[in-house]
Amino acid sequence: MGISYSQQKKLIILGFLAIPVLLLIVFMFYPTLKLFQFSVTDWDGFSPAFKYVGLENFRQLILKSNDVWIALRNNSYYFLIHLLTIPFEIVVASILCGKIRSSKFFQSITFLPYVINGVAVALTFSYFYSPNGGALNSMLDFLHLSALKMGWLSNIYIVNFVLVSVSLWRFCGLHVILFIAGILSIPTEYYEAASIDGANSFRQFTNITIPGIKTVLELVLFLNVRGALSVFDIPFLMTNGGPGYETSTFMVYTIKTAFQFNQYGLASAMAVVLVILIIIFGYVQSKVIKIKG
Amino acid sequence: MSSMVKSTLSKISFGQTGFFQYLVMCLITLIVFIPLLIIVLASLKTLPEISQMTPLALPHSLYLGNFRETFVKAKIILSLFNSLTIALSSVIINAVIGAMAAFIIARFDFKFKKVVLGMFLVAMVIPFYTVEVARFQLIKEMGLYNTLYAPILIYIGADMMQIFLYKQYIDKVSVSLDESAMLDGASYLKIFTKIVLPLIMPAVATLAIIKFVDITNDMYIPYLYIPSDKYRTLTTTLMTFAGDRSVNWASISACIIWILIPTLLVYFSFQKYILKGITAGSIKE
Repeated sequence: MGISYSQQKKLIILGFLAIPVLLLIVFMFYPTLKLFQFSVTDWDGFSPAFKYVGLENFRQLILKSNDVWIALRNNSYYFLIHLLTIPFEIVVASILCGKIRSSKFFQSITFLPYVINGVAVALTFSYFYSPNGGALNSMLDFLHLSALKMGWLSNIYIVNFVLVSVSLWRFCGLHVILFIAGILSIPTEYYEAASIDGANSFRQFTNITIPGIKTVLELVLFLNVRGALSVFDIPFLMTNGGPGYETSTFMVYTIKTAFQFNQYGLASAMAVVLVILIIIFGYVQSKVIKIKG
Repeated sequence: MSSMVKSTLSKISFGQTGFFQYLVMCLITLIVFIPLLIIVLASLKTLPEISQMTPLALPHSLYLGNFRETFVKAKIILSLFNSLTIALSSVIINAVIGAMAAFIIARFDFKFKKVVLGMFLVAMVIPFYTVEVARFQLIKEMGLYNTLYAPILIYIGADMMQIFLYKQYIDKVSVSLDESAMLDGASYLKIFTKIVLPLIMPAVATLAIIKFVDITNDMYIPYLYIPSDKYRTLTTTLMTFAGDRSVNWASISACIIWILIPTLLVYFSFQKYILKGITAGSIKE
């Protein structure tokens, strides 16, 4: 070839990076900037003109709208309950890395819910918890436990926990698989040395396994913050955020504000708040872990 | 490698009693399977059966009417075709341009490298769905609303997380391979297509399978951008079908199973690679 390597280098850098960078700018960064712009306007989504209203949308969000706080409370259920399940997920991961027979079979079962279509999951559990002929209530009848029958998706005291249980069913398997990856990355020699020193398996678990999976733990904790703050399809499909706004999450509320009530300005402000919350929570959480470990 | 993994496996067991471990795993298996089993059984029941029998009771006979009815009503073939078109084209293009970008980042130093890397990193932190309110307007202005290009371009362009993974794999490919090819006068393009790409192909394929599953399962993008009936995907057709008040749980269950078949086929035929890909993805640095 006639072209020198230094010229080739310029060509290939330009040629190989142009498309992905352009796509990222057009479909990710440009809309994000637009989001910030819309967040200080009163735009309704279709009029050609809009007014700049300064921080009015943010003021309305924080001071006037009670529903936003309900939504954030609901997000915190997902965050806290998923957080509390993490130790259990680590134990399951270490069981699956252990001597247990058919470990591969159990691994694929554990991960199975994550590959199932979200709409299918939501509908499956809508049937499971349905008040009219739903699976859970009929099973309670069959077991002569009719007293325990409930409107699982309408009783405002339990409905959020019912929805979180669906989220657990769907996402715990992913976390377990990630923890398995972490455990397998720990050099075997650590465990060999520990057993020579006479450390029992519980000590090995707390002193080698837990510190050894720190990177994965950080990843899972970040995924948990991001996931819990942007929960959307389970409440949207199973209860549509109802009754009232009782099961609305921040994301359900944002999407409804934009696409049902045509308040794009307000919805953009909510999306901006969500991005900021994710960054703050992710940052604070990583600091807390640094202090501990 | 496998002997190392095996000896690791034998060392890390939590607790000595196997009983506790099997109990936990069997419980998890039950929790995973019972909701799915209820759906399978419901799909095989006739209307009177589903209202009178308990969910875990077997139907009197294998009734396939629900499957026949929903296959036509929910336009399974059309939705499968749309889902495959969207998923295959975005996965393939995304993998190719992702590998190309990763090759540049792994092998070359240039002026704006930090900027480019920073852009890919920031895109990872911004949650995909939050920008939807603004992206929706953009897609409309570009005239892509209600065309298959909308989901395809968004799936290709907005998610480049795999670049960092590809980069790790490319870093493992020795530079001396490139150098000896350069002595033979091979161009950079040739080095990429003939040396680097074939060596990272397993990683690319794994991530492509995972992304394929994610895209076919996504409801949000098709629901928002391609509401037209002729563009229904497996996900949105299930939503539309179940949203019709006149349908009963037996036919919804059958529809759920139709939707699950393609993804489960992919999962069970490639699960070894999927699990491995996720495993590789988490051990960064």
